[in-house]
Amino acid sequence: MFLHYLDLAWRSIKKTPILSLLMVLAISVGIGITITTLNVYKMMAFNPAGEKSDQLLRVQLWSQGPDSWDNFPQLLTYQDVQNLRNIEPLVRQTAMHRTGGVIQTDDPSFAASMQSVRSVDRDFFKMFDVSFLHGSPWAADADVNAAYHAVISSSLNEKLFGSGNNVGKTFYFDKRPYQVVGITEDWNPQPKYYDPSNGAFNDAEQIFIPFSLLPIEKQATWGNTSGWRYEKTNNFQDRLNSERVWTMFWAEFENAEQIEDYKRQLAAYVEQQKAIGRFTDNRSPEDSVQLVNVEQWLENENVVDEDNKILVGLGFLFLSVCLVNILGLLLTKFLKRAPEVGVRRAIGASRRQIFSQYMVEVGVIGLIGGAIGLALAWGALAVLGDKFGTDAALTQLDNSMWFLTPTIAIGTALLAGLYPAWIVCRTKPSVYLKSQ
Amino acid sequence: MLHIKPIISSLLHSKSGPFLLFLQMMLSVAIIANASSIINQRLELMDRESGVDETKVLTFRVSSFSENTDHEAQNKRDQQMLRDLPNVINVSSTNMFPLSGGGWSTGLLDKPDPNAEGVKRTPQAAQYMGNEHFLDTLGLTLVEGRNFYPEEILHEHGYANQKVIVSKPLADEYWGEESPIGKILYHGTEYPIEVIGVVDKLQGAWVDSDFLDNSFIFNIDFGSQSAGGMYFVRANEEHIPELKQQIETAFLAEDPDRVVIEFLTVRESRDISYQNDALMVYILSIVIVLLLLVSSLGLAGMVMFNVQRRTKQIGTRRALGARKRDIINQFLVENYVICLAAGVCGGLLAVQLGKQLMQHYSLPALDLTYPLVTIAGLFIVTSIAVFLPARKAATISPAIATRSV
Repeated sequence: MFLHYLDLAWRSIKKTPILSLLMVLAISVGIGITITTLNVYKMMAFNPAGEKSDQLLRVQLWSQGPDSWDNFPQLLTYQDVQNLRNIEPLVRQTAMHRTGGVIQTDDPSFAASMQSVRSVDRDFFKMFDVSFLHGSPWAADADVNAAYHAVISSSLNEKLFGSGNNVGKTFYFDKRPYQVVGITEDWNPQPKYYDPSNGAFNDAEQIFIPFSLLPIEKQATWGNTSGWRYEKTNNFQDRLNSERVWTMFWAEFENAEQIEDYKRQLAAYVEQQKAIGRFTDNRSPEDSVQLVNVEQWLENENVVDEDNKILVGLGFLFLSVCLVNILGLLLTKFLKRAPEVGVRRAIGASRRQIFSQYMVEVGVIGLIGGAIGLALAWGALAVLGDKFGTDAALTQLDNSMWFLTPTIAIGTALLAGLYPAWIVCRTKPSVYLKSQ
Repeated sequence: MLHIKPIISSLLHSKSGPFLLFLQMMLSVAIIANASSIINQRLELMDRESGVDETKVLTFRVSSFSENTDHEAQNKRDQQMLRDLPNVINVSSTNMFPLSGGGWSTGLLDKPDPNAEGVKRTPQAAQYMGNEHFLDTLGLTLVEGRNFYPEEILHEHGYANQKVIVSKPLADEYWGEESPIGKILYHGTEYPIEVIGVVDKLQGAWVDSDFLDNSFIFNIDFGSQSAGGMYFVRANEEHIPELKQQIETAFLAEDPDRVVIEFLTVRESRDISYQNDALMVYILSIVIVLLLLVSSLGLAGMVMFNVQRRTKQIGTRRALGARKRDIINQFLVENYVICLAAGVCGGLLAVQLGKQLMQHYSLPALDLTYPLVTIAGLFIVTSIAVFLPARKAATISPAIATRSV
């Protein structure tokens, strides 16, 4: 029966090509706009931490003095991070900082290149699920006694040394030799949830080195530095000792008790710092610490920008206009065909059959419109990527769209078809038989 | 000419079709009015002038990785080397680039001690550091006071003899009518900073900030301080592409242990900084065009089918002496009645939608002109969409009426 309806639907569509074309156009344009905006939204709103989102917490401290900043700073002072590293980890923890510099190899033909480098503690790789192809993170000792060790990505490995297991080889970062201890699978979480403030959708670093090297190497920061008061910094040590915030800290927990316990430890730490004259604002130690999970952090950082939310809303409003448009067209078309329905009813077709047949026809129109709409969205995303240099990660068609698009398209069409189909199947056979 | 009463009663007779048209137009007015308001607001943002000769100023960074370099001497050599390149008009070191999205900012105080009684802080402002060539290289206009003298240029930040040139919006906001020349500011230390000049305009780095137009320029040759250097090079537009190559070659010839990166004109930085706004304008414009297209095609389609359905009625009217114009007018007036109703309701809906957007997102209130212009536009577009099929209807011959359909 369904196939028969399909056949009837196709004939009916062919009989009124202009009207059908208009309906397909309306649906496909509506779907095109909606899917384009929805796709970018979904890509931005994705939380790569998945189940771990509540277990990975970023530490924030109210280290500023009175009458300075109104919110928790996003970043921490170096001295706080150093002290936090010394609190016994409950599960795992990592200090973090973005730097970068010139990368060279022993091969003189290798052109020196600038690379962004992330300095972390060894727990980073477990915390953020980075898997290794060869080797492993540096030894725990390197987190304390700085060692010139590095973990690099598989594609950088390819670039520096050619393919294969090159663990043990050496490259140069700002002229210092670093020994490769681990090679990771290519890893590029989008959004870059471990540090969304330095560009949530740019590529992850391909070189990781021990945080413990920071004071020795006097690394520049490739990120923000903020100070709430004027501090003279004549040298790097002044910077390390200053109240400026420029480093980060993440901790991992297994349950809420651990989190509560950690909060107490942090408050005790703040208390102790207050005693030596830091954390001078009138806040209680408990209120001077804040732990934020991944999901909340992505939200605080406005990873999904406002514009996109507005566009998704307008996209759906647009779709609703298309829906009303199609409704009008369908009504016109079905009313015109009322005589035909009259005849069919007279020769025994049930209302249900008429209704089903029209819904199938509308569904077919929705499906065709959806397919074209998806193609339009795909094209639109390509154009956006091209014309506006929108990050590649945002302009790929999300897999869920293969399912979402036909659902929305057919759903919209069926919704629009309900009323006209109901009107038409109520046709009284007698009325039309008479006029024929 | 306008027989509105019978038209309204005929509209009320077959309610669903006209009601759907009404609904569609109402939603369209609400969407288009708000979309055009957002477009206009973004265009205004993108139109703000930076004060810089954007297409003539090339920016880039240098990172050195050789050890034991005398950065101050190297910085001097580098600037001379840049000036000696063909087609280079002027050169300055800097610590940040305008409209680049990253840089320094600060607020200065009118007393040395930040905790002093009644201490007054300037508005937050971009903190540029440059030498005596800074103004000329960027093409800034000095409206008061003077430029730095070459002998005034410092090589360190935060010490004695600091001078500062401020942007006019900053001066106006902080000093009002008073001239800022000769005023003394502090950076939380005992060292005074003397204001010696005012430039007409110089924007900072962050186009989303509320202090974009506020800038300080300090008399400091910034490249002297570290292994990284940042430079402005002024040249005529046609020479800029080749300059990129020449500059890189010259730097590496001078000292191969470095990398020169991120060649961008200020214009290119601007385009990147306003990318999201440009994107919004682009998408919303497409939405408006498509919305009008879909709406008017849908409308035309419905009128076309109405014409077919009413062939007999039209034929009868023609037979009774109605002119072609009367038939077209009938369809047009029908449309205007719906448009008017939809326009009023759509305008109200637009205002409501605008209020919601303003409440939840950082958007300004919807100006009433937008719904009004949108309604006017809708009258025009739908007139065209109705007129074409209606003209066809008018050609229906009276003879048709006598035939049975």
